[in-house]
Amino acid sequence: MSPVRISHLALPRLSQAAITVVLVVAAATMLLPFVWLALSALKTRAELVAVPPVWIPEVPQYQNFALVVRQVPLFRYYLNSFIVAGGISLSVLITSSMAGFALAKYQFPGRDLVFRGILATMMLPSFIFIIPVYYMMKHVPFAGGNDWAGVGGTGFLHSRLSLILPFAVSAWGIFLMRQFMLGIPDSLIDAARIDGASEMRILLGIMMPSVKPALATVGIFTFISQWNNLFWPLVVATSAPELATLTVGLKFLETSFDPNRNAHLILAGLTLGILPVMILFASLQRYYVKGISMTGIKG
Amino acid sequence: MKSRTRAAWLFLSPTLLFYAVFLIFPVLSSLYLSFHEWNMLTPPLQAPNVGLANYRYIFSEDPVFKKALLNTFIYVVVTVPVSITLSVLLALMLSRKRRTGFYRLAFFLPTITPQIAVGMVWRYLYRPNYGLINTGLNAVGISSINWLNDPSTALLSIMITAVWAMIGTNLLVVDAGLKDIPDEYYEAASIDGAHGWQRFWHVTFPLLKPSLLFVFVTGTIAAWQVFDFIVAMTAPTLGKAGGPVNSTMTMVLYMYQTAFEYLKMGRASAMAYVLFIIVMVISLVQLRLFRRGGIESYY
Repeated sequence: MSPVRISHLALPRLSQAAITVVLVVAAATMLLPFVWLALSALKTRAELVAVPPVWIPEVPQYQNFALVVRQVPLFRYYLNSFIVAGGISLSVLITSSMAGFALAKYQFPGRDLVFRGILATMMLPSFIFIIPVYYMMKHVPFAGGNDWAGVGGTGFLHSRLSLILPFAVSAWGIFLMRQFMLGIPDSLIDAARIDGASEMRILLGIMMPSVKPALATVGIFTFISQWNNLFWPLVVATSAPELATLTVGLKFLETSFDPNRNAHLILAGLTLGILPVMILFASLQRYYVKGISMTGIKG
Repeated sequence: MKSRTRAAWLFLSPTLLFYAVFLIFPVLSSLYLSFHEWNMLTPPLQAPNVGLANYRYIFSEDPVFKKALLNTFIYVVVTVPVSITLSVLLALMLSRKRRTGFYRLAFFLPTITPQIAVGMVWRYLYRPNYGLINTGLNAVGISSINWLNDPSTALLSIMITAVWAMIGTNLLVVDAGLKDIPDEYYEAASIDGAHGWQRFWHVTFPLLKPSLLFVFVTGTIAAWQVFDFIVAMTAPTLGKAGGPVNSTMTMVLYMYQTAFEYLKMGRASAMAYVLFIIVMVISLVQLRLFRRGGIESYY
């Protein structure tokens, strides 16, 4: 923002210094738990429970991380989370661009009704689906040892499909793709039609390359929110622990280590658990931020 | 023309199929289940019909459900307005600064970190003996508080963490809303002699209403479903989550326990429907209130 603009913004006159102080304190409050966590991951048990608190470990205990990884299959959790969040993101990207394209660039009876219906689903609390969806996943015919009637085996419950399928479409993703595609000139599409391009070809050859930033936004946003999802993976992991995602795995840390004796190891595990999504966020922040702010303005 | 209509429906078909299978069918199934007694082990169509007994039970015979309803209500009415107010103040201050990258990053870190990890870290910060928060309080002469272990402060502790974690998302939306306000409005207001708070109330606030509506509605929907923080902060094993003495029991957590620990699917479905109706009614009221507040006259 230009500095000229700043003077226009309304707040009772506060000095720049006062604003800086408040912001620095607020930012410190946000960062302190993370700093404390990262430092604590390198402490001995004694340092962690010392009174007065020890901030910087005297000798950084890097082996804490090795001890955690040896005891808890963190890499399996990473992999599970990666496959699940990646699979969902991919599926959301495909379904959202197709639906977004249809809703942005075609005139057909019922379009507005469909669009409004999709938006309305954002208001549905997700837990209302959980019980029937769990049952459906268990009783998919011919899957996981089931017979044609869906009885006898575990269906999709012991497969990652059970984690991916319920989130394969996102109303938010459709909404965002539609918003972006509205901005692409119709003349491009018309020109392609005159050249004899099929509708699918228009989507793949013209729309998709033009909305790359939107794809990045929807992809990264979906990935992070699914990576952080706990409720459904926890439900699935009760019967299939081998499918546990990282969020569920972090919960398991406290059954693997005694919180009274090995809190420093739990904290080391948490540090490792938080790290990947932070790195991802740091590198793709721009797209993530765009995702939130766009929905906010147009929501 | 007809072929384009067909193309549009084809592009929409994966989405519509998904909504039929994973949304409409489960929502109707949940309604059916809420009138039946079902343990998920028998086919649902053979489950005995118990009429309104599930609803009657949770409202008249189940003190834990009432506690969960009350706790969730308190959580919503405290965390949503507090976090929005704080984020508006911070966004206004940030708009007066030129370099905001560092602050933004600080405020967003909690929002991209899995809530389960945030909650677990904060549980260590809340520890009664050597937790950082009590150490800080002691340093300024306040005696230690038994934060998460005392039924009278446990919910408060969780709400503090939740507000801390929620500020970032709201801030981003409000920030984007602020940037959307044209400079000319402030110039015009200045010419008319508006200062400080006047400019805020007559220019910033009305033009920010769509963003505020968005964070208010989505924040409320999310807050009614609070689950991860409770699981992370109240018990090492999920079975005991919601303690001490149900002081942090919430709707979704109780639904989870009723369904997947006690296998009372009908009762859990009834709870899901109660929550569903609450969330729908509140969302509709919020939308209407804001519309009456003049959103449409600006957008």
